[in-house]
Amino acid sequence: MDWREAFFCQARSENKIMTLLNARGVEYSHQLHYIQMVTEKLAKGFLAKAGRAEWQQTSHAAFVTMLRTIKGRPDVRTQLGYKDSQSFNRYIDSLLPLADKIEKLAPALAGTTRPNPEYPWKDRGSSDVLVPAGFAFPEFDPSDPVMVKLMNLIRQLLHIAI
Amino acid sequence: MGNKDVIKRQAEKLAKANREAEPTISDVYWFPHDEEVRLIELDSAVPRSPDNRVHPFHFRPAPSQGLPAPSGVALISPDEFRQAELPEDWGTWDQAEKLAG
Repeated sequence: MDWREAFFCQARSENKIMTLLNARGVEYSHQLHYIQMVTEKLAKGFLAKAGRAEWQQTSHAAFVTMLRTIKGRPDVRTQLGYKDSQSFNRYIDSLLPLADKIEKLAPALAGTTRPNPEYPWKDRGSSDVLVPAGFAFPEFDPSDPVMVKLMNLIRQLLHIAI
Repeated sequence: MGNKDVIKRQAEKLAKANREAEPTISDVYWFPHDEEVRLIELDSAVPRSPDNRVHPFHFRPAPSQGLPAPSGVALISPDEFRQAELPEDWGTWDQAEKLAG
């Protein structure tokens, strides 16, 4: 197995865990943590060249740039079921702000003062230390239509990624 | 048509598609190679790479879409042009050819 295949394999496995957590009704932070990890592994899979034995470590922040890159890929667009490039561009553009927020959930990017699904942080307004497991993460409401669309895209990308 | 011509034609096709998809792309540079399309696109909406390296996304061939060769495409910040370290075996910045937009 090369790095590309390994990253995609791990992303698919983590997506399965995310689905299981959702079904078990555990605190949302854990699902969100997996969503962030899935997007990171998915992007890193596309950064890895097929068949190459070496992997060059990269930043956590690759998911948004990956989405912007696939906008110009007729092969990916067709695989995702879009015949028209303009509607595909609009579709991806509509998801970029939320994708950017998910990318910034990585603890290395969130720091100690912004909500993230893995580590406690200090709220800037109240100075309270908050716990991910007790936080609702309203910006990532799983019933929000944009979140639903983004999750669908992630599932589709996991399906076509080779 | 030789393989180099096929590669260049695909590079131009992808550059055109990418420019149309992302209006913030100002310039596209092609790094000639016999078997792979290698593109670096200057995009003002992309942050600088924290490690000052170019990290292309890689895509497999898709002959049915007119993309017979594998490709590596990197979006970089315009101020990284000629500054960021290229991927191993991509050659030097001097080998880059600017594709007409």
